Amino acid sequence: MTASDAPTTNPIISLNDVSLTLSSGAGPVRIIRHVSLDILPGETVGIVGPSGSGKSSLMSLMTGLEQVTSGDLIVDGLSLPGCDEDRLAKHRLDRIGIVMQAFHLIPTMTALENVAVPLELAGIKDAFERAERELDAVGLGHRIEHYPAQLSGGEQQRVALARAIAPEPAMLFGDEPTGNLDGNTGHAIIDLIFELQRKRSSTLILVTHDPSLADRCDRVISMSDGEIVDDTGNTASVQIADETAERTS
Amino acid sequence: MISRRSAIPVWFRFALRELRGGLSGFKIFMGCLILGVMALASIGSLTRAIEQGLADQGQIILGGDIEVSKFQIPITPEEDAWLSTLGDLATSSRLRTMARTPDGSGTLVELRAVDQLYPLYGELVTTPSQDNAALFDKRGDHYGTAISPLLADNMELAVGDKLRLGTIEFEIRALIDSEPDKANQGFELGPSVMIREAALAETGLVTVGSLINHVRKIRIANPLQVDAVRAQIREEYPTAGWRVRTHKTSAAGLRRFIDRMGEFLVLVGLTALVVGGLGVGNAVTGYMDRKTKTIATLKILGAEGGTVFKVYFAQIMIIGVLSIIIGLIAGMWLPAVLAEFLPDTLPVSPTQGIYPDALGLAALYGLLITIAFTAWPLGKARDLPAVHLFRSIVSPGSKAPRLAYQILILAAVFTVVALAIGLSGNAGLSAAFLAATIVSLGLLWATARCIQYVAKKLPRQKNPLIRMAIANLHRPGAATTSVVVSLGLGLTLFASLALIQGNLDERLEGEVSGQAPAFFFVDIQGSDLTDFKDTVGGIEGVSDLRLVPNLRGKVKSLNGVPAQDWETTGSRWVLSGDRGLTYSDDLPASNQIVEGDWWPKGYSGPPQISMGAEVARDLGLSIGDTLVITVLGVDLEVTIRSFREINWGSMGFNFVIMFDPNTLRDAPHTWMATLKAEGDAERVAHNTITRTFDTVTAIRMKEVLERVNVMLEQVSVAISATAIVAIFAGVLVLAGAIAAGFRQRLYESVILKVVGAVKSQILRAYLLEYLLLGVITATIALGLGALAGWAVVEKQMNITFTLLPGPMVTVVAISLGITILFGLASSLKALSATPNSVLRSE
Repeated sequence: MTASDAPTTNPIISLNDVSLTLSSGAGPVRIIRHVSLDILPGETVGIVGPSGSGKSSLMSLMTGLEQVTSGDLIVDGLSLPGCDEDRLAKHRLDRIGIVMQAFHLIPTMTALENVAVPLELAGIKDAFERAERELDAVGLGHRIEHYPAQLSGGEQQRVALARAIAPEPAMLFGDEPTGNLDGNTGHAIIDLIFELQRKRSSTLILVTHDPSLADRCDRVISMSDGEIVDDTGNTASVQIADETAERTS
Repeated sequence: MISRRSAIPVWFRFALRELRGGLSGFKIFMGCLILGVMALASIGSLTRAIEQGLADQGQIILGGDIEVSKFQIPITPEEDAWLSTLGDLATSSRLRTMARTPDGSGTLVELRAVDQLYPLYGELVTTPSQDNAALFDKRGDHYGTAISPLLADNMELAVGDKLRLGTIEFEIRALIDSEPDKANQGFELGPSVMIREAALAETGLVTVGSLINHVRKIRIANPLQVDAVRAQIREEYPTAGWRVRTHKTSAAGLRRFIDRMGEFLVLVGLTALVVGGLGVGNAVTGYMDRKTKTIATLKILGAEGGTVFKVYFAQIMIIGVLSIIIGLIAGMWLPAVLAEFLPDTLPVSPTQGIYPDALGLAALYGLLITIAFTAWPLGKARDLPAVHLFRSIVSPGSKAPRLAYQILILAAVFTVVALAIGLSGNAGLSAAFLAATIVSLGLLWATARCIQYVAKKLPRQKNPLIRMAIANLHRPGAATTSVVVSLGLGLTLFASLALIQGNLDERLEGEVSGQAPAFFFVDIQGSDLTDFKDTVGGIEGVSDLRLVPNLRGKVKSLNGVPAQDWETTGSRWVLSGDRGLTYSDDLPASNQIVEGDWWPKGYSGPPQISMGAEVARDLGLSIGDTLVITVLGVDLEVTIRSFREINWGSMGFNFVIMFDPNTLRDAPHTWMATLKAEGDAERVAHNTITRTFDTVTAIRMKEVLERVNVMLEQVSVAISATAIVAIFAGVLVLAGAIAAGFRQRLYESVILKVVGAVKSQILRAYLLEYLLLGVITATIALGLGALAGWAVVEKQMNITFTLLPGPMVTVVAISLGITILFGLASSLKALSATPNSVLRSE
């Protein structure tokens, strides 16, 4: 089942004939070519493809980190083309959580402070109390005052996950979230991501090389050379997504 | 924990957390800022401390609350009687004359005759310590005298010996350790000698027309009323021709000098701060590069660009303020250090203390320079796309920061310039200096970029070491621009100052051996004129005797307007006191008529004068205008007949105002003379003339020029010391730029070793690179320094400019020494690493 066959629920992410071309020293590089795609609220989507296929770039477009060269892109009601950097940052703050392969924790801040950053940016008064709860939720309640350099890779990714979900975003994006972790730790993180997604009914989009990880998603989008070459999903999972969409709409 | 308090703005909380990373990346930043602010704080504090010292010791320096003086014409007993009603009245006289030993050898001295009340304030310290009466009163046949230890040394005199002044002998009773009012005396040509005022009359040195300054010092009951008393004097004796000064305006020349010197040193110090600013900018650029991931992360998490800017601006400002505070603390101690360890370098004892205005200004300059040099990289960070965390194929580009940040930079620069010019007593000089600095910065930067462009376009060299050295000049992240601009600006300043000073020295030395006369003789009595000519004519090896009549007079009014009310565009000094006057049938050889004409020989009409053209222009005078000039108490109404261009560099007698001979020929006056003498004739002429004519004072040109030279050297030491701070700042910037490229150098050297290069080969390549950099920097600095030096020497001082090898070699040596030393130190460290240890960590 593809997005176009989904029940009549408003998509939370909608791409229409989106392209991305970047300039480089060697000339323009076409990264994304004429991609159209709808993602429903509550859906879990795996984006797979070889290196350079454009999957991370697609995520960058959907999170407002990159602007489309052409086409329409609406995320949670906001048309991203034309928005300035600050508007996009605000949109991410309000609606989007991102977990990255390299964790990207701020080295001068403790685990607690790292998790509190988006809450503080949002002006939430009890930012540190909430951050502490989120760290508890990812099993790091005992490491809150440790700096990133004092944490293992798995722990750092848990902190990054706690930071991403702390503002309770409607959409959670993961860009190879287990890429820097060993197998067991990676599986534990993925379990945690799916558990949190289920509890909070958020939309989850995972960019990954790992077919087994993608298989856990409702829907798998395969990319090659900047284009979607396959878009499949399992019926049972889509059913759950539909129910979630009805609850949240 | 402060950094978690929600009451504090989020950007400030983040800034505080970021500072936990420590200051290790900010050593150069802090060093540059501390150095620049320290220089400015030192200069400002020292200037203020001396000014305060002058203010606090005003009564001692003046020697009273009020000083009334008159040149040549004695103050009458009636005037004295009236002045004594104002308070305690001390009488003294000052003149230059010859002091002679009993065997007849003589030397020029500054003679001061004082009464029993001297000094009204402060203490005359002598060895042995004696009171006024014991020092100067007549005992037996001799009055006493106290002399400078310098004179005692020069003439091999001791306490108890005799010293001849004019026609009588004095007994040396003590050596002067300190004169309380020394700073008020101005430029002195000889060592001090003090005698009793009553004795002066017996020396035969006081005749009509003698160049004596008659001085009265008054101690009033209430010093706070000094302005009122001064006004009272002016009101009572409006036309007496007195110069009246109060303790608030004592040592006016010294005050002006301190002000001007302070202002100039601030400009030089500002240059050091600008050079440091380049280091500050480089350090912040490097820091922001290292923070790219954190900035992108913050943006991904929803931080707006403005928040990111504030986070890093706050950090930089915190570190900047910390550096400024350290610089201020280090700088404010300079007056105390100089007073303690080098007391003789200061004209008056500085008043120790903290001077908030001087420190505040230094801090403000430091803050503005920090903003000017950091707003660019900070502004660029504001717009750093968050996607940088994911993507590196996009060309980085060099997008300028938003207009607001560019305006911020311009505002900071404008404020620095406005402050420097606005607070200066010589706005033109300040503006020219700053303009030269900004133009030099631009030229250095443009040249550095040109060098990089040329290095890039050069044909590929066959020798790989040369190829590597040239490639290192233009590779991304090369230190070329930083080194050329920062070290180059400091060296440009140093080169220009060294060339200016060198040319002045050359000129002074050239005058001694060249066109300048060997002696000036003053106070030649009219009655001695024929004998004087005959005596000089009889000395072998003496030539070019020139005699001019000498009088003093004061311009009282111009075209009916009192001199003090006359509006001028300059040359106010001509109207503000006594001026030397002369008369002549012939136009002096070093003068040229530029308007009007010279009076005919034997002119016998109404009084006429010829004026210096430049002064006349400043005063706005025209041919035919009338002046009233008071000469020996007589008001003479004169008409301007001509204007002359005067060659002041001719080192002979030159007068702004020259009279026709008919008007002044019969007025009582003395004569002055110059002559040339070579070799032993100089000594013979000196001894013969001073022994023959008791009242004639001989001023040896060589000694005058040496004294001028000593003064210039003292000034030059202060300026050079500040310029060296600029070079130090440049060295810091260079060290920072080299340190920033260390990692790349380390990797490069390891790879070269891996492919088979030996240490000495790599070292030679680096040596060549730094040699090129040093030579290029020195060449540009010399070019710009020579241009600035030429502009000052030729255009401002009207002296022929010469490119002197000494300063040029020094600049090249400094440039090469610094670049090679720091470059090779870094390279040797890189070369000492083993390939394995480096490659494993990559």
